[in-house]
Amino acid sequence: MGHIGNIKTNRRGFLKLGATASAVGATLASTRLVAMEQELGGADFSAVTGEKRTAVPYTCMACNIEDGGVAMVENGRIVKLEGNMDHPNTRGKLCAKGNAGFLHVYDPDRIMSPLLRTGKRGEGKWKRISYDEATSLLSEKLRAVIDRSRAANDPSILNETVIKWGRNRTGGGIDRFMHALGSNAMLNHTNICESSKKVGLEPSWGPDIESCDWENTKYILNFGSNILESAYFMNPNAQRLVDGVVDNKAKIVSFDVRMSNTAGYSHEWFAPYPGTDSAIALAMAHVIMTEGLHDAEFIRDWTNVTEAQLLAHLAPFTPEFAEQESGVPAKDIRRIAREFATTKPATTFSYRGPCKHLWGAYQEAAIHMLNVITGNIEKRGGYCLPRGMGWPQPSPNPPKGPVPSIIAAPPLYPLASHHVSTNAPYMIMRGEAKVSVWMYYYDNPVYSYPSSHVWNAFLRDESLVPFSVAFSCFMSESTELADLIIPDVTYLERHDPESMPSGLFPCLSIRQPVIKPLGGTQEFRQSLIDIIHKVDPDGALGARKYFEFDSVEDWMRQHFDSIPGLKEEGGWDHMKKVGVWPTYGTVSKDNGKLIDDNGEVVVAEYGLHAAEIPAATMASAVVEPDGSITKDGATIGVQIDGKNHTGFGTPSRRIELYKESFRKYGFNPLPVYKRLPSRDKKPGEMILTTFKVNVHTQSRTASLKYLAEIYHKNPAWISPARAKALGIADGDLVRITSAVGYMVTRAHLTEGIHPEVVAISTACGHSAYGRLATLKHKEADAEWALGGDPDITNNVWWDDKGVHPNPIIRLSLDPIGGSQAWYDTVVTVSPAQPGDKYGDTKVSVEASMKDYDEALRYAYTGDLHRAAHQEVDVDWNALPRPGH
Amino acid sequence: MTSLGLQADPSYGVPGKKRWAMVVDLRRCIGCMACVAACKAEYDVPLGVWRTTVRVKDTGTFPNTRRNFMPRLCNHCDNPPCVRNCPTGATYKHEEGFVLQHFERCIGCRTCIAACPYNARFMLPRNRTRVGVNSVIDKCTFCEHRVSQGLVPACVQTCIGRSRIFGDVNDPNSEVAKIVATQKTTTLKPEKGTRPQVYYIKPDRVGTEQILSAPESYAARSDAEAFYRHNNGSRFYGGTL
Repeated sequence: MGHIGNIKTNRRGFLKLGATASAVGATLASTRLVAMEQELGGADFSAVTGEKRTAVPYTCMACNIEDGGVAMVENGRIVKLEGNMDHPNTRGKLCAKGNAGFLHVYDPDRIMSPLLRTGKRGEGKWKRISYDEATSLLSEKLRAVIDRSRAANDPSILNETVIKWGRNRTGGGIDRFMHALGSNAMLNHTNICESSKKVGLEPSWGPDIESCDWENTKYILNFGSNILESAYFMNPNAQRLVDGVVDNKAKIVSFDVRMSNTAGYSHEWFAPYPGTDSAIALAMAHVIMTEGLHDAEFIRDWTNVTEAQLLAHLAPFTPEFAEQESGVPAKDIRRIAREFATTKPATTFSYRGPCKHLWGAYQEAAIHMLNVITGNIEKRGGYCLPRGMGWPQPSPNPPKGPVPSIIAAPPLYPLASHHVSTNAPYMIMRGEAKVSVWMYYYDNPVYSYPSSHVWNAFLRDESLVPFSVAFSCFMSESTELADLIIPDVTYLERHDPESMPSGLFPCLSIRQPVIKPLGGTQEFRQSLIDIIHKVDPDGALGARKYFEFDSVEDWMRQHFDSIPGLKEEGGWDHMKKVGVWPTYGTVSKDNGKLIDDNGEVVVAEYGLHAAEIPAATMASAVVEPDGSITKDGATIGVQIDGKNHTGFGTPSRRIELYKESFRKYGFNPLPVYKRLPSRDKKPGEMILTTFKVNVHTQSRTASLKYLAEIYHKNPAWISPARAKALGIADGDLVRITSAVGYMVTRAHLTEGIHPEVVAISTACGHSAYGRLATLKHKEADAEWALGGDPDITNNVWWDDKGVHPNPIIRLSLDPIGGSQAWYDTVVTVSPAQPGDKYGDTKVSVEASMKDYDEALRYAYTGDLHRAAHQEVDVDWNALPRPGH
Repeated sequence: MTSLGLQADPSYGVPGKKRWAMVVDLRRCIGCMACVAACKAEYDVPLGVWRTTVRVKDTGTFPNTRRNFMPRLCNHCDNPPCVRNCPTGATYKHEEGFVLQHFERCIGCRTCIAACPYNARFMLPRNRTRVGVNSVIDKCTFCEHRVSQGLVPACVQTCIGRSRIFGDVNDPNSEVAKIVATQKTTTLKPEKGTRPQVYYIKPDRVGTEQILSAPESYAARSDAEAFYRHNNGSRFYGGTL
């Protein structure tokens, strides 16, 4: 259980604690106890000279939460970062990654010049060339694709120009670039992230994530998310979660196979069998509905199902059934269901734990439903819609390319709105798609993808990838395989428009060069402009007109200078000065909350779905008998008690617990639990799970010394009981074997893990990403590197860089959401064999190709899909054809 | 403005004087390490030494386990043994309570390190990134350079859980004074007579054994061994595994 309850102290410790208080009988009051008289931030001074440091606002991109930040500059060098006090969701705070982010700028292994490969791929032999030469070379390659397409009169050839990104925060810049070239072959990384969560949510209520009102809630059910370390939106959510738990006395219950910091902070932590979250959630729904604890009115008014329908659907999902599947006691499921339904307001939050499994979208939909049936949607303290803001694109904006790209949107995954990027190399190896130019931006699949050796083999193969270009400024496992590197600058030296729904206050923010890019390096956006100008020098191709920007800053002005409200405050110039818009108030020194000029706490807006439809819009609308408001053939809202509400972003404007789009492809339209193949593993086997820690992203932060010092190795978490049975002691070398190969690492025995699970962090175990990440810090600077951190050269004291688990993780996909099923790989764990060395990894591309075939059997056209969905009312012989 | 001398006058409770202090509310600490990173950046703190750390400790048996965090920094004692023991006057107590270093007077004899019961002091290595002060003793300053400008310390500034609260404990209207006066707080090793000025709320979670205990897991032990192979004479804070 968690550690907020009554815990006995052991006072025999090395350090004795003394009570220095205090008023007799004083107990911890419910006041915030966080007031301060000093200023909370916004300025900084040199500890050496006392000089005031120059403060420049920016948006963080250490990870993808996009906190507002202020960079402190001393003598032209960024020395310190802090959260932007004007950012309503960041409220002046950054996490450890955000604080360390400026180290990217001064990474001694930062690539300082475009590089052209001179040896074999991956051999590490490079020739420095200029940005002009580099963009010219790439332009020739891109132009050749267009010319070939035109000569053959085959527009599908345009899709041979491919770009793949891990993080694309260009605010439409890459889409503009690719569409100007006529290509739709843009691959994101979302299916290795949380895409099945998004696909569980979008058809349900519109947007792809929830925004919990943590600080005002009374009850939090956390399914497999590590809010206090890594999940969206860690810093803003963590701040408010602590406010909710400590100040508002909210209870938090976590379900996670591993004791994360969040599970460890929770009042109750349960470790379910991996992939059984939906059994638990459905059983809770079962209890809530059968005991009449649900919000009947909300279900009637705001969903597309009836109470009777739900009761019938939930009948088999009893707490006893859930206990049998998950191992979580039925009595606890009942108790927590009752607590959740009767404690108002309440909210769930879920992230990758439930959804990164085969059929992960069902799990998310089941969890989402708990909030719906209890009427906690869009309530103060409840489960709210995300709040983001957009910005206009400069005109003209290019239309999409003429032909859909099958690697960008694989047709066998029609519901996977965030696509299936893992499949690209397999599809190309199988000859289903062709590549001429492969570009990658903020992307490191050779490290961060499942069965990462497949990407290594793919990107090395010149017959599959004739020409590859990396835009990274770090020599990652993927960058080192490129033919040409056109380095971008770091996020502190670059322009981007930003908006993230990281709290209940929607806002825009920006990135701008805090300092002039180091050493004449050039930002990506400028390279895109240059490339298009070279591909289409006279505008005859029709591409150049989309890139007629005088400068990158001119591009930004076109985003920000015409936004109503912001325009009056100065548009882009205002953004450069403040970094964020709008500001809702200032952070109170008394309570840490946002307050207005009168000192009143700024209250967020709730009930977005209940916004009223303007009378003018209603003029020619029709109200159907069920309350649906229709106009011109579409539903535009819902009428309840005579009021006309805009509703949710679904076709019916209601929350669609019943998803017709799922049924159409033979998936269950209502949230269900499906027993996973990994649930039926053999008794001696274990399930491999991975996780992020609070100081690292997936792949980009092992090079940051402050973070690497805190966390630099990733031994395999195993429960002591299980380890004993396996003959493994703490620190022993172990061999972990999956169907595609094995790895040799060390065991870390901990009570904080399900006995059937072995867990390894993905933060460590680099074979590239610079000398610090690979512990080659004593080696001399590469010719292209920035060089020069004597602290790293001399003071690194740790000697273990970890072992990366991704090679042995099998490709496996949720056929609904298209997500990689990260947490389904069945492994055996055994003491290392004679000759095994720490870090040994042996894996097979051929075995991984078999996993691809296996994954397709679960796709909607596959035999295993049909076998697992006999209950679905669909004509199996008349499923839609792929791509139609 | 600063009083230099071997004797450090107690300033706690002295009318008309400021006495800076910190309260760490352990109920609000989520072990995010933002303070550790912010502190490193603020001062260009080299690898292998720390002005502030957060020790992590798991307790209990599956499934009844919990995780404890223990943020540590200099206690800016009102009766600091480091100051008493410094032979050169390099270590001194500022009249507002900060325990600070005059680097130019420090001969690196490490007497203060030995005298400090909290492992709050360290020897700066020869090499660091941008600041040119090397091979002398350094420590947490409570961000005197920020506090004197009206700001909170860097660790407090970035604290995500608002776990660290900073103020003038001599000012009865300050939050820290109110907390110390009305809430149950603890300090570390008060029996040493140091009068520490870092107070902890919810001592149940302090986990007394973890603070300077030997690392238990192989992962932590092997990190400690690597640390001691590389660093002579300084003490490892314990790591996070």
